[in-house]
Amino acid sequence: MITAERKPIDEIRAIIAPYKKVLVLGCGSCVAECAAGGEKERGMLASTLRMANKMDGKEVLIQEKTLDRQCVKDFVILLDDIIDQYDAVLSLGCGAGVQAVAEMFSELPVLPALNTEFLGETRDQGYWVENCLGCGDCMLDDFGGVCPLARCSKQLLNGPCGGSREGKCEINPEVPCAWQAIIDRLDRFGALDRLEQIYPPKDWSRKQGGGPRKIMREDQQR
Amino acid sequence: MESRISSDTKARVAKQTRPPQAEKRTLALFYCQNTPESGEAVRQALEKKHASSLRLFPIPCSGRIEPLHLMKALEEFADAAYVIACPEGACRYFEGNTRATKRVALTAQMLAQIGLEKERVGIVANSKETPKTLAALALELLDRTAELRPSPVLARPNQGKGTKEKKDDHSRKKTH
Repeated sequence: MITAERKPIDEIRAIIAPYKKVLVLGCGSCVAECAAGGEKERGMLASTLRMANKMDGKEVLIQEKTLDRQCVKDFVILLDDIIDQYDAVLSLGCGAGVQAVAEMFSELPVLPALNTEFLGETRDQGYWVENCLGCGDCMLDDFGGVCPLARCSKQLLNGPCGGSREGKCEINPEVPCAWQAIIDRLDRFGALDRLEQIYPPKDWSRKQGGGPRKIMREDQQR
Repeated sequence: MESRISSDTKARVAKQTRPPQAEKRTLALFYCQNTPESGEAVRQALEKKHASSLRLFPIPCSGRIEPLHLMKALEEFADAAYVIACPEGACRYFEGNTRATKRVALTAQMLAQIGLEKERVGIVANSKETPKTLAALALELLDRTAELRPSPVLARPNQGKGTKEKKDDHSRKKTH
């Protein structure tokens, strides 16, 4: 899941300051799951902005809508009937959502209300952790299902570094040592011998080496 | 139409309310339905007694409250929005009051970011030993609300009684 956090209200207000008719656009997918940009958060933000404008005596129209997914154009097209009413869209989608809406309505400013953070796991209620970098060449099978690139502070493929204390990272005692987790898990499978393998430096060309990545699946296309 | 509120209820509420001349602000009060003496008849009697100063919203548990409920109340009609919760450790649903406390705190934080007083929202946990009635708690909170300045959100020029800013919510017009 893509995680995000709302920008500070002051920053959002500065972003939308030039506009008089703003659509606050929520997204019902990942950012709803991480309580940053779903229906409730959209309502709270729109209400807060309306109140702030009333306090400042500003006449700004702030209306609301939520799409199931802002990053899928089949949903974004649903804005077609109403979009002409607005000067700008304040999107509570992730970066992909903001750009998908902007691409479809190219003459309209589409402004981000969120800071998109990382690919995360919902570890507990209200607690999300980064555990995937989307490197394009998954090696989780080698490391007992624990990614050293995402979860080791030093991104070591040939760990551990020796700085771990009681299963915690030396850079921050609140961060669990990924290599401790890797060793514990490999031990449970009886596969500690994998630690003897030397891994060459990560080939990052699969991530960003060729510019923006894309996936084309002919069998999925119209 | 003949009132369905019994004279006994009216008398009990009348005892626990303050004089109408002190009522200057509007309080939106969301209360857990497990609050003592908080039945529908009492709600109606209290709202009638305090007229525009008090709007009561029964909720099955304080954990049902969302920041949006409080924000909408403040945006549309209320000078303050409060929640009445059960005493700590006495929530019928175990942690409804704990969750409500966190949500009220989040709302206060949002208000502070736009320069509204945090005191415009709050949560009051009833007492386990000597639980207060809805009327008694409402009275306390009305007094607290009366100490606030009029809400700058509502104090707009040309705002007549019953005037409501148009706020279309397109998402509610569509079914997903």
